[in-house]
Amino acid sequence: MTLQPKSLQIIESEHSIDFLLDGDWVLNLDSNIIQQKCRNYLSAAKPSQSACKFSFSSNKSKWDSSLLVFLLDLETKLSTLGMEADFSKLPDKVQDLISFAKDRKGKKSAPLYHPSLSSKGWFFHLSSKCSQWSTFFGKWILALFRLFLGKSFMRLSDLISICRDCGAAALPIITLISFLTGLTMAFVGSVQLEKFNATIYVADLVSLAMVREMGALMVAIVMAGRTGASFAAELGSMKLREEIDSLRTFGIPAMEFLVLPRTLALFIMTPLLTLYADVVGILGGLTVGTQVMDFSSLHYFEQTQSALTNMWEVYSGLIKSLAFGLIIGLVGCYKGMFTGNNSAALGKSVTSAVVVSITLIVICDAMFEIFFSMVGYR
Amino acid sequence: MINDRENSFIVEAKDLKLCYGEVTVLKDISFQVETGSCMVIMGASGCGKSTLLKCMTGLLKPAAGNVIFSNGDLWGNRDLPNEEVLSNFGVLFQAGALWSSMNLLENVSLPLQTFSQLGKDEIEQLAAYKLSLVGLSGCEYLYPPELSGGMQKRAGLARALSMDPPILFLDEPSAGLDPINSMQLDELIVELKKSLGITFVVVTHELDSIFEIADDAIFLSNVSKSLLDHGKPVEMKSSSKHAEIRGFLSRTGQGKAI
Repeated sequence: MTLQPKSLQIIESEHSIDFLLDGDWVLNLDSNIIQQKCRNYLSAAKPSQSACKFSFSSNKSKWDSSLLVFLLDLETKLSTLGMEADFSKLPDKVQDLISFAKDRKGKKSAPLYHPSLSSKGWFFHLSSKCSQWSTFFGKWILALFRLFLGKSFMRLSDLISICRDCGAAALPIITLISFLTGLTMAFVGSVQLEKFNATIYVADLVSLAMVREMGALMVAIVMAGRTGASFAAELGSMKLREEIDSLRTFGIPAMEFLVLPRTLALFIMTPLLTLYADVVGILGGLTVGTQVMDFSSLHYFEQTQSALTNMWEVYSGLIKSLAFGLIIGLVGCYKGMFTGNNSAALGKSVTSAVVVSITLIVICDAMFEIFFSMVGYR
Repeated sequence: MINDRENSFIVEAKDLKLCYGEVTVLKDISFQVETGSCMVIMGASGCGKSTLLKCMTGLLKPAAGNVIFSNGDLWGNRDLPNEEVLSNFGVLFQAGALWSSMNLLENVSLPLQTFSQLGKDEIEQLAAYKLSLVGLSGCEYLYPPELSGGMQKRAGLARALSMDPPILFLDEPSAGLDPINSMQLDELIVELKKSLGITFVVVTHELDSIFEIADDAIFLSNVSKSLLDHGKPVEMKSSSKHAEIRGFLSRTGQGKAI
């Protein structure tokens, strides 16, 4: 069934103006020419009292709501010129729908104005965010106290299952990333150290870098992308589906029931994963040392041991990772709990959880290093 | 197009069997929906009404059987529904399912922008017209989370209407609406059916609505997991041979074992 293009003829007579519609008035057909014709006619038309009669030139024409919108719009424009639209020659169904639409038609709203923030506005926006964040953190500390007092709503089973999800389930990706980090560092280091004929110091380089910095940092970045994002998405969608509100109506604080087990799980698991990543990273270095540089495993391990005589090197990495775990957990949960009320806002929350976590991790790492240097532990 | 329906049946379910994995939800479902009529799918909670609707709207492939529209079968051999057939209908989901990052005008305009040949102004006018039909004039620039549940549902109906489809599938349209809004929605269905000749397939268990809008109805059973009866609701209420259906439609509680 082919459609005939829309057409409109305007015939002016002494007493009336006839609008003759022809073709098929359906959504799938272009109507630019008709619109242009109407605009031209209306701009040239002089206000008059004559009636405008609308009719179809054949009764085979198809129509849908695009015709109704066209007619209603034209009627409004004609009435501003003092002309009256007469639809009585159109099919009954069209007339029914026109009167039905008129009954229901209200005033169309204007687009909402979204003002951009002035510098003063930004200051207040920022300060309200700060107070929101400090309230969140304060409530978290209080929830921790209630946990120590044995009054918390946190369930141990939740903590254990989240520990498994963010700890044991992350082992494959942590293994891959830290092994390749150790391997890459060994390759890069060997090229430089070869110039001084000191390639065995690759073992020192890899082990020290892994335990002091790279182990904790790589684990933290992986956890921010993997677990922090999942916390934000999970809590955010719970908020959208009013699950958090329903907890609240039962008198169960979301902070204790949802946030505390997640943050504690990361606080516990990140150092353990870091320790594991340190070992795997050193094994990555060992692989290059034995396979590419022809050291014996024993020789490599002895060199590693001499580099790590002071256990503080390992502890300092672990202390950092405790802080990183806490940052990831808190930021992920905060972004989830304070997500907006639509799915686009949820996406933004997840992105921002990852970006803010990684930024804070790097800043925190630098501050630890500065602090350790100042107190003479480096 | 909406004003030239000739065939007597516009959609037909043929020997449908619907399963979720190994679990059979419905079997041996066959019925026809007459052009320009309103067919109501009734049944107790959990009897598979929404599942049947999912199958008829291309969201769930039946384990056996097919859904036949005037321009072809919905389900071919592939797992995906026939795209040409999809343009036949609009769907209103239970909770409205509006796109929350767009305002109402954009929600209704998007299908028009994608599939019609109209200009930007016309599309906006058309979208505003559809919103006014469902009583949402003045809400064009609001976002879905800013609306009440009932308003979201009506906006969902406006979006389902956007392309002037010959068939509309509505999943519990009046659930969660106040009596006035629910009555207005029923009026709208009757008016659209009369003026635009739209065929409705409605899943509902609101009795008032059923008697107001339905020309025809089918009743699904929880126990036999099949179609129990087919006919006009008023007749089914008084003279159905199944006591459960009479109980369901007259609210006398005889329908416990449905």
